[in-house]
Amino acid sequence: MPDATTGVAGPPLLEVDDVTMQFGGVTALDHISFEVRRGEILGLIGPNGAGKTTCFNVMTGVFQPTSGEVRLNGQKLVSRSRHQITRLGIARTFQNIRLFPEMTALENVQVGGDARHRTSVPGALLRLPRHRREERDGRTQAFELLDFMGIPHAANSLARNLPYGDQRRLEIARALATGPELLCLDEPAAGFNPAEKEELLALIRRIRDRGQTVLLIEHDMRLVMGVTDRIVVLEFGRKIADAAPAAVRADPKVVAAYLGVPEDAA
Amino acid sequence: MNSRIKRSLAVLPVALLVAGAMGACSNNGNGTTTASGKCDSKIAFFGALTGPNANLGINIYNGAKLAVDQYNAKNSNCKVTLVQKDSQGDEKQAPALAQNLVQDPKVVGVVGPAFSGESEAADGILEQGNLPLITASATNPTLAQKGWKVFHRMLGNDASQGPAAASYIKDTVKAKKVFVIDDTTAYGKGLADQVKKSLGGMVGGTDTVQPKQTDFQATVAKVKASKADAIFYGGYYAEAGPFVKQLRAANVNAKFVSDDGVKDPGFVAGAGKASAEGSVVTCPCIPGDEAKGTFFADYKKKFGKEPGTYGPEAFDSANVFLDGIKAGKTSRAAMLSFVNSYDKDGVTKHIKFDKNGEIAKSEIVIWSYQIKGGEIVKDTEIKATS
Amino acid sequence: MNFEFLFANIGDLTVTGLSQGAIYALIALGYTLVYGLLKLINFAHSEVFMMGTFGALFAWQLVGLHENNPIPSVPMMIVYLLVGLVGAAVWSGVTALAVEFVAYRPLRRRNAPRLVFLITAIGASLAISEAVGIATGRQQFGMPDLFKTTTLVTIGDAHITNLDLGVIVAAIVMMVVLDQFINRTRLGRGIRAVAQDSDTAALMGINKNRVIVLTFVLGGVMAGAAALLYNLKIGVTRADIGFLLGIKAFTAAVLGGIGNLRGALLGGLALGLVENYGSALFGTSWRDVVAFAVLVIILMFRPTGLLGESLGKARA
Repeated sequence: MPDATTGVAGPPLLEVDDVTMQFGGVTALDHISFEVRRGEILGLIGPNGAGKTTCFNVMTGVFQPTSGEVRLNGQKLVSRSRHQITRLGIARTFQNIRLFPEMTALENVQVGGDARHRTSVPGALLRLPRHRREERDGRTQAFELLDFMGIPHAANSLARNLPYGDQRRLEIARALATGPELLCLDEPAAGFNPAEKEELLALIRRIRDRGQTVLLIEHDMRLVMGVTDRIVVLEFGRKIADAAPAAVRADPKVVAAYLGVPEDAA
Repeated sequence: MNSRIKRSLAVLPVALLVAGAMGACSNNGNGTTTASGKCDSKIAFFGALTGPNANLGINIYNGAKLAVDQYNAKNSNCKVTLVQKDSQGDEKQAPALAQNLVQDPKVVGVVGPAFSGESEAADGILEQGNLPLITASATNPTLAQKGWKVFHRMLGNDASQGPAAASYIKDTVKAKKVFVIDDTTAYGKGLADQVKKSLGGMVGGTDTVQPKQTDFQATVAKVKASKADAIFYGGYYAEAGPFVKQLRAANVNAKFVSDDGVKDPGFVAGAGKASAEGSVVTCPCIPGDEAKGTFFADYKKKFGKEPGTYGPEAFDSANVFLDGIKAGKTSRAAMLSFVNSYDKDGVTKHIKFDKNGEIAKSEIVIWSYQIKGGEIVKDTEIKATS
Repeated sequence: MNFEFLFANIGDLTVTGLSQGAIYALIALGYTLVYGLLKLINFAHSEVFMMGTFGALFAWQLVGLHENNPIPSVPMMIVYLLVGLVGAAVWSGVTALAVEFVAYRPLRRRNAPRLVFLITAIGASLAISEAVGIATGRQQFGMPDLFKTTTLVTIGDAHITNLDLGVIVAAIVMMVVLDQFINRTRLGRGIRAVAQDSDTAALMGINKNRVIVLTFVLGGVMAGAAALLYNLKIGVTRADIGFLLGIKAFTAAVLGGIGNLRGALLGGLALGLVENYGSALFGTSWRDVVAFAVLVIILMFRPTGLLGESLGKARA
């Protein structure tokens, strides 16, 4: 495998090691290997059906891969349950928004933070001091994250009543609340206008600057090229490139497979 | 591979069962039930041994058991088996159990069925099997009017208990206004109807409850609003217990009068000692210590407690069949004519059945009992007024 | 139709109807919680309640309180009430957990279709009820009297007894505590999150199986509280009491909007009142007919019940 060299290469945080995912006779991922390095923003791109979201699902425990392994900080993730993987430090958003519609924005973010709390059931029923403290801290943290994402005004609205853009931001806030080392964003800019996309770019950089590593699935090439440190390109479940944005843009295989058409359209 | 063998093995017992059942049926069909040999005759108990009203059935079973054990002790070379059929007091279970008894040609007599509801469901089947029965407790009058030749009753029916309860309410309680409740069963409704007829204009309201009901506040509200000073309840103790508890909780202090179905410690348990206090039950059964002979002492010695409701009547019922077996009546037809012509003293009364299978009118006794300090104690013998 | 009787006794009928309804409501919570979370009608919940009535009885017998004991002093009464509550809640909670672990979890692991869960639920209900029936000889057991029932206040023609008032207040307090727990705590948020989208909840770090266990326990504890109140109010129990009460409570849950906690309270109280008013108007034997007729009519106009379905929408 050709290794890309970039300026911000830290030690590997997440390793996807020879993962194959088959659904019946269809091979969605075909011996995929790549790594996400600590502190970088990695783009994961490819045409529709290339296997990007499947890759996310394998990493976060939604699917069990047919073969291969995924490691976070050297710890194996395959066959762990979803909530354990989240607690180990991977958080994600969804291509089609999946908030808890009947909770307020604040509560949505609190749910993300709850995973790290320790209150027992009797403790919560009796409202012991630790429970009260954790609830208070959780609220404070949730308010901070809503503020960070630029939607403090939405705190007490039900998630389903929020405008589309705020829902996307809320999903990111909820994912951040779980305290991840790796944040996986699945097409976070879908449906955004150019001004909103600019804001989002700035936000992703700020998330990285907070010390979190970001893995980004995105269709919009300008967005990907502008923000990522490195890009992995998938096509029909195979990895066809893994390099810095400039190098990927110049790669004839990538251009042929993917960039050619959408580059013109974009 | 071996699944086929398994399947045929599984069918085998069923086939045997069917064959056996058919054999038994054809026997009965010919009316020539032949008991092979003289010393393997059985009599059966039919009634609730488990279920909410099981105490009543257990008393009867114990009475019959005492009779059979005494017989076997005296006739150790020719013992009689007492078969038990637990109906749980549920009329839906009764037909299958009756069928079961009919199919065993060794069974020549049935003590039971215990309750009127299950009697209605089972007696017709026993009639088809020509299997004589003597109930020690089912008191619905209509049971004797269905043309069942095998039916006999060791005690007075509700046509005598009802008027007796009514005269107790009139003469002893001296009530002005009576609220009458029944539980919709053949027994409870039958008895309550008799009481209503005898009370006439004194009935100040009526209501029904359902078997297995536990929440009676609507009925309690009606009793309360009626301002009745006495209540007659036709039914069993399982419902009467919580009903009286809820009645007293609502501060209704009308005298509670009920029937033999309520004459059981289970009533006191359900109502609570305080709420049950002073309640009265009537019963066409005699108190255990009023039985003649050594019955009371024998029973106490065997079971470690005093005989319960219908214990003496069950003892007498079983003894009628045992006398028949002793006299060599080991076929059902012979047993039936033996029972029909029976004319002898038992521990409860002189036993002689009329053509409907009822005990002679002059022999009917009705007693009242009262709850005192959590115990059911005998009160007085009520003279049947009709 | 006996309007005269209904109006003359409307106060008493209302009080006793509310107290019976409060018991329905507490049982209904168990149906509603599990349905809201798993879209599963846990028919075995009726037996969870039944076990609670025996749990309180055993706990009392263990501390030497028997059915014919004299009425205890006030401090002892409070002790006995707590003992009974603990006994009932533990037995009900353990039963609810056993049902989840033995009957439902293995099916969930195999992704069984919903119909299989329903049959299993009915099977579990029958199995528990019959097992207890055999173990107890299907006998009826009486309860000790913990206090003398007296009328506390009379408002108009309504005589409010300490028993009815206690039952209603206790049930409402339990409901408020549960409502606060679901709406204001981390664990409650977890339950709502799983109810709304269990896959996403797992990806947000929520352990779904723990949430399910917690929900069964909560439903069990509420059924245990209902069982204690039932013991005090009705005064007898036996192995088959769960069936009718369960059907009524399930009806209450549907009436209020199954999956909705406040709906369970409203549905339970409404059912208790309708039963009482119906029996007054048409006669006691029409009680269940009236209750179910009202259910059908309400569902015709509000197919999702009075307050609508959704555990997530627990807030009014």
